[in-house]
Amino acid sequence: MGLTLELSRVHKAYDQFDFGPLDLRVDDEVLAVLGPSGSGKTTLLSAIAGITAPDAGSIRLDGRELVGLPLEDRRVGMVFQEGALFPHMTARENIEYAAAKSGRAGELAALLEVDDVLDRTPSALSGGERQRVALARTLATDPDVLLLDEPLSSLDAPIRTRLRDELHGLFDSLDIPVLYVTHDQRTATALGDRIAIVRDGGLEQVGTPSAVLTRPTNRFVANFTGNENLLEGTVAEKQSDGVRVRVGDCDFRTTASAPDTSTVTVCIHPSRMAVEAPNGASGDSTANAVSGTVCRWLNEGSAYRLDVDVGTAQPLAVNVPPTTFERLSLETGSDVRILVPRESIHLIPDGA
Amino acid sequence: MTAETHSDRSETSALGLDWLDVSLLGGGVLLLYYVVPLVSLFLAVPAGDVLSRMGDPPVVDSATTSVLSASISTGLATLFGLPLAYWLARTDGPVAKAALAAVVLPLVLPPTVGGIVLLTVFGPGSPLGEAATAAGFPLTRSLAGVVLAQTFVASPFVVVTAKAAFEGVDRTLEHASRSLGKSRLTTARNVTLPLAGPGILAGVTLAFARAIGEFGATMMMAYYPRTMPVQIWVSFVELGLDNAYPVAILLVLIAATALVLLNTVASNPWD
Repeated sequence: MGLTLELSRVHKAYDQFDFGPLDLRVDDEVLAVLGPSGSGKTTLLSAIAGITAPDAGSIRLDGRELVGLPLEDRRVGMVFQEGALFPHMTARENIEYAAAKSGRAGELAALLEVDDVLDRTPSALSGGERQRVALARTLATDPDVLLLDEPLSSLDAPIRTRLRDELHGLFDSLDIPVLYVTHDQRTATALGDRIAIVRDGGLEQVGTPSAVLTRPTNRFVANFTGNENLLEGTVAEKQSDGVRVRVGDCDFRTTASAPDTSTVTVCIHPSRMAVEAPNGASGDSTANAVSGTVCRWLNEGSAYRLDVDVGTAQPLAVNVPPTTFERLSLETGSDVRILVPRESIHLIPDGA
Repeated sequence: MTAETHSDRSETSALGLDWLDVSLLGGGVLLLYYVVPLVSLFLAVPAGDVLSRMGDPPVVDSATTSVLSASISTGLATLFGLPLAYWLARTDGPVAKAALAAVVLPLVLPPTVGGIVLLTVFGPGSPLGEAATAAGFPLTRSLAGVVLAQTFVASPFVVVTAKAAFEGVDRTLEHASRSLGKSRLTTARNVTLPLAGPGILAGVTLAFARAIGEFGATMMMAYYPRTMPVQIWVSFVELGLDNAYPVAILLVLIAATALVLLNTVASNPWD
């Protein structure tokens, strides 16, 4: 049916902090709202849910103005950080309290796999079960918008990952706008059809996960999405198929269009490079090849993180799959060749 | 663990007593001061004697008046006190602060002064008092007078205790309920009240105990019909201490029941 949530010029002034004015449009999709704590993520949800009244602006759901409507008349479902289950009701009573029509509660309990624990009170539920019940309770109202405020943040890693994967499937089956607030970049990229980066009450960038990860509009977005390679560079040559930039002793050919400034921040995501032996035959002849020495390495579990000295002011951070790390017998002091595909290099103009 | 043992030892006095024992020794004097007179009251008159005098008309009449008036006062205090408590719990700012001060005022005001204050509004000389008397419903020297005095003195207990109980209910739960499409009223009935229930019950119990024991303001507003505290006073002054015992024992038993209630179903605000 394609419901649309549209915020325009939403503004709220606090003593220490100004939220907005902010424009945002969310269609039938999952928008992951990513930002540090205190950036205004929860204020955004509160304004949509009706917990906080904005000073100005409009929030429309399918053309219907929400500002001024009481919480209970908005048809906006919200899953709170710790679940906010009613402690004096069992899980079943919690869900049935919300259920618009009978039968829905049992159906949702089965979908969220909490039918075994329905007779327990919230205090007897695990963190994961609590969030499942909270989600079932919210969905039982058949909301027109679903808001989730860091529902996984208090869970242990294995349960968090499992529930995250389930949420992915569940969100797909909903035909409504979903706003998912998190401060965790992995959760945001895993769940979001699009990501909105929030800072100091404003939107820094809105885009698909890969766009935000690889083409951040400024250093803050790059930093916050785990993009550690922010190198000072200068534009050396502008060509029709992209510009060439100089960073320290290295030259990089890029597919980037010419930036507004001659000094730029060269941004290369650590996972968008390849490492090979110093004398290795390059598979990709158009990629930039730079030689360097491993000065530090860390095992981060799913990948190794290398700091490679390539003659730039700061070492280049590169993620390497464990198989490559072992095949090349890498260690501190190893000489390596790094292949940086032209399209992996993103340029942020100075001052952005 | 070791650190704890060490600190215990360092607080042990020369006599081999630790600080906790010394505290109890000192505080025990006060504790005895509470308990001994109560026990003494029950020992002062033979149980059979007290029981036989429980049926005396002054005792029965005053007990009826007291229980009836305290029940009405507590009902009124709850009816008007709960909304006020909820408003105070959910409102910030100077107006709420001033309102809370007004609520607490009767708690710190000497009851006799409370009685005088009430007499200026409801007394025989006041327009309201005159009008009510003319309408055949006098507000002094009547059950209404007792109720007015008791409500003034006892209702702050409901407001203050229920306010704390409402504040103990996480607002997120109310937001959650309303975001599920439930009105404020449904939310209050199904979420806020049940969660604040034990605290509210504590306030109601305290208010009842205070109302039934109210003497100063009641004495000034309504010497008749006699409540139990007034009856105790009258018996003591006219017939001597012995004659005041039966009603006093009755009041002690009511107070003890209130205490049991506080420590079981209600949430004791001082626990």
